[in-house]
Amino acid sequence: MAAITLDHLCFRYPGAAQDTLSDLRLTVADGEAHALLGASGAGKTTLLNLLSGLLQPTSGRVLFDEVDVSSQPGRARSVAQVFQFPVLYESLSVEDNLAFPLRVRKASRVLIEQRVSIICEELELNHLRQTKSAMLSLFEKQLVALGKALVRPEVALVLLDEPLTAVEPKIKWRLRQSLRRVQADLGVTMIYVTHDQTEALTFADRVSVLTTQGLLQTGTPETIYNAPAHEYVGHFVGSPGMNFLPASVLHLAGAERVGFRSEWAELDPHSALRGTVAGQRLQGTRDGVPYGWLTVNTVHGEVVVRGKLPADVLVGQDVGIRVRRYVAFEEGKKVAEGEFV
Amino acid sequence: MLPVLLIVAFSAVIPLMTVVNYSVQDILDLNTRFFVGLQWYEETLADPRFIDAFARQVGFSATVLAIEVPLGIAVAKGISKTSRLTPLILIVLAIPLLIPWNVVGTIWQMFARPDIGLLGVAVNASGIAYNYTAEPLHAWLTLVAMDVWHWTSLVALLAFAGLTAIPNAFYQAAELDGASKWQVFRFVELPRLRGVLIIAVLLRLMDSFMIYTEPFVLTGGGPGNATTFLSQYLATMAVGQFDLGPAAAFSVIYFLFILLFCWLFYASINRDKAPR
Repeated sequence: MAAITLDHLCFRYPGAAQDTLSDLRLTVADGEAHALLGASGAGKTTLLNLLSGLLQPTSGRVLFDEVDVSSQPGRARSVAQVFQFPVLYESLSVEDNLAFPLRVRKASRVLIEQRVSIICEELELNHLRQTKSAMLSLFEKQLVALGKALVRPEVALVLLDEPLTAVEPKIKWRLRQSLRRVQADLGVTMIYVTHDQTEALTFADRVSVLTTQGLLQTGTPETIYNAPAHEYVGHFVGSPGMNFLPASVLHLAGAERVGFRSEWAELDPHSALRGTVAGQRLQGTRDGVPYGWLTVNTVHGEVVVRGKLPADVLVGQDVGIRVRRYVAFEEGKKVAEGEFV
Repeated sequence: MLPVLLIVAFSAVIPLMTVVNYSVQDILDLNTRFFVGLQWYEETLADPRFIDAFARQVGFSATVLAIEVPLGIAVAKGISKTSRLTPLILIVLAIPLLIPWNVVGTIWQMFARPDIGLLGVAVNASGIAYNYTAEPLHAWLTLVAMDVWHWTSLVALLAFAGLTAIPNAFYQAAELDGASKWQVFRFVELPRLRGVLIIAVLLRLMDSFMIYTEPFVLTGGGPGNATTFLSQYLATMAVGQFDLGPAAAFSVIYFLFILLFCWLFYASINRDKAPR
């Protein structure tokens, strides 16, 4: 395992007018589960290919434990990758697939047996060891692909490229559980690329948000969610995304706009911030009280309020909204956060 | 359904039944025929000329398959997937497949002539006394070369189509695993080419087993009977000598052998594919 450093990393495709990635700086700690979150077109795949050695940086460096690997090809880098769909040697059994990266590198038979056993145990694949991989279900195949990525003891970094895409929703959480458990058990450095913010926030120790402007923020899922450094992050992360209003509406000085999560707001008949209820969605009950979302149209835009829903609120009704916590932005960047007393 | 049944009946079932009917009769003329049972079958299977032609046929099919399949895969591997010249190369490869078979025979008949043919003259100039009209071995080699020239493209085009269908991720994963070029071929490409290769082998097996036109034009089955394959022997019997009964029995046996080979091949390929 290794710590991964991106040092002023730039990449431009040959013939392109501008950099796909420019001046990326990021450090992923040894044994960290790191999620790289970004919309499509943000350069996630390019960054992944730079890490795996399929592409080489135009300038800047990729360091594995302080060693510059920028110009090394993939096979020299001790990197493994799990792809969007299961990539296996389909004519081989599960066991032979798992042993493949070790056999290729002429590992001893004892080591191969030991590692394959560990992986099978960890991923609960023991009953499938002799099965030909073409016969497996999609979920099992992806598990084996994950196992194959983890089997080499010296692997520095495991890249996961939206590994849950091909798996049906019902199975998704199971695979994510397995992934999280294995990551914790084996202490593998993992970089998980996804456009799905729920996956990123639930999987990672830290999350980086990548856009065409570069890395907007790196932090723990809590920080990313509660204190987005950039309006885009607040908007992109969370379901629903952050509410934004002009700062003046909440009487905040020194900022342009103010953002708040739907659960930081509540209905208050005495509040000066008013709007008309445009819709509501019930999500269940809490303490016997209905719980869900309210969409409220204010003169400044739509606001979503989440929490306990008073029984007497109807669509079209005039309501007041009180905000308890906020993050203030100036030119898109966070300048302050705080609470209203 | 009915039109399809009619078409199949007229194009396949009725002619086949006619042949089966002929094969159990001794036909002197259209009004004088005797039922002879399986006599023609017994005679055909015991006929040394049939056995020789059959052995030659198996040898020929095995030889061309053993050359064309690996060579076709190698050619396909050599074609760049991204080059701008690729479409041109594919067209050039397809040209032999578009030439009428008797023309292929004629081309090679001239090409290999020791007196004026480019190939024949060149081989003779290099010190080898080459004459495919006199030497059985030379006739064989020329026939095999012609078939390889004619049909390797088919395997190559099929294999190329199969190769381009392999997602890049498979190559990336193999690269990260540290697989050698051979291992990539053996464990990534070959398993994924399986489907198209089955088609290629089946097509080449059937076609080479039924080869008629090219050797007929090139060598006429000679020198001696050195390149007389089953189809040509059959044609001589049926059209040359009007032995309709024996020729019909021969046809049925011939047909059954092709069916048997294809079935054996297909069954052996699918043996390990039984559902879990």
